[in-house]
Amino acid sequence: MSHLHVPDGVLPNWIVLASWIITISILALCVLRVRRTHMLRKIPLIGIISAIMVACMMLPIIPFAYHLNLSVVAGIMLGPSLAFIAVFIVDIIIAMFGHGGITVVGLNTIVVGAEAVIGYYLFQIAMAMLKKHSIAWSSGIATVLSLMLSTSLLLGFLYISQVDVQILFEADKERVSTTSFEEKEVSTAEHSSSINVPKFAKVALILLSLGWILEGVITALVIRYVSGVRPDLLLPDAVK
Amino acid sequence: MDVTLIDYYANHGTSFLHRAGAYSKILFVTLLVASVIITREFYMLLGIYVTLLILALWTRLPLLKIIAISIYPTVFTLLFVIASWDGSWLKAGVVMLKALSAALTMVILISTTPYPDVFNVIRPLLPGIIAEGLFVAYRSLFILLKLTDDLVKGLSIRGGLKKRRYANNIKNFSSGISLLLVRGFDMSEKLYGVMNLRGYKGEARMVKQDIKASGGDLILISIGVSILAASLGIRIESGLATYSTHLLALCTTILATSAIYLIQSEL
Repeated sequence: MSHLHVPDGVLPNWIVLASWIITISILALCVLRVRRTHMLRKIPLIGIISAIMVACMMLPIIPFAYHLNLSVVAGIMLGPSLAFIAVFIVDIIIAMFGHGGITVVGLNTIVVGAEAVIGYYLFQIAMAMLKKHSIAWSSGIATVLSLMLSTSLLLGFLYISQVDVQILFEADKERVSTTSFEEKEVSTAEHSSSINVPKFAKVALILLSLGWILEGVITALVIRYVSGVRPDLLLPDAVK
Repeated sequence: MDVTLIDYYANHGTSFLHRAGAYSKILFVTLLVASVIITREFYMLLGIYVTLLILALWTRLPLLKIIAISIYPTVFTLLFVIASWDGSWLKAGVVMLKALSAALTMVILISTTPYPDVFNVIRPLLPGIIAEGLFVAYRSLFILLKLTDDLVKGLSIRGGLKKRRYANNIKNFSSGISLLLVRGFDMSEKLYGVMNLRGYKGEARMVKQDIKASGGDLILISIGVSILAASLGIRIESGLATYSTHLLALCTTILATSAIYLIQSEL
């Protein structure tokens, strides 16, 4: 659960815009790569995996309101390009239900998409290192590491979003204005949308580290089950 | 979050919002989200939220259910409020209202518009594979949610999910998800076969949207444009912020009047 449940209008506009540009560029690359393969066959597959991801996201794990992403499972089973497209579809659907802002879909796709892509490559590396003896360990380790990396990416985004030129401009404007107390308080509320990153990181890392382990264990068990029951479903490159 | 219920509302409602075109509703959502982004003034945001409550009331759908669905994401927004807490309740209120307003806007859209209509509007903006994937994902979601629900019920009845037996619960829950994945893949294969047989060439044909504007469309767009204009006005000229309380009072009066009217008409 490393995607941002940030409402619209909290993050600076430049970071929202930049994330959309990056997401569109990566998506264009993914679509070009997928077009070379049998695209028609991939459409139902992407759709179903996206739907499974959304369905699992709707199952909150009590008591700490964590929900599974299954992004690494998608990465391992679909490969990086298709998984990135699936993540974008998932983000659009959950934004339609008001589960996070519609303008942060770009940013969420980068964070969760990175999780899927990194998860796929880490799984490949782990499989090569562990000599394909333990598919469960490989997928579990890949999941925990990719979740750690994607959370770091998320915190990085939040850190750089602290520098808001507009906030500085408005703060300067406030110094010279002669407003009443009430207006002043409202005005302060208006432009203090910055997030205390260290405080947020502490809260998020404590809660999410439990989630990483949980998701790692579940991913490991899921991949082990699928490799036992339907090994053909895993990518031929991942499991022979 | 009950997606099936939202879909039922979208397809069975008869309000003016249900009758309005998908194009105008998406334009309304765009205007409202832009207003939420622009506005940093507490009372203005509260005014926007009350306006949305009025619209939700006029959909004649269960208001509390609609609000409950839109409140869900604010649980996560609380984390951001805690992280940016500096003792100002007003600032916390601004962040929460931004989340609530944007979420309620989206929930009003999807609970009054069938999903093929929404996808039909956004389809030209997306590459083929994404547009088709989105359609298949949403279509399959209901089947998979039913499967997930049955799975959780089945696990609970058979003692697969018991209190304080965490390791066992995780193992059984993972088996359930694995089963869901395997069934999902089988479903995708079947779906591909069916689509292929029906001559699918990479684009599902949809019924074309009628973009003739009705009264409902005009009301919606007028509300959206007025809110955006007010938000822009306050953002450009901060002195206008004092009028946001008047706007809030007006919206609250309309909400109360609407509620009384609708209660009386149903009695």
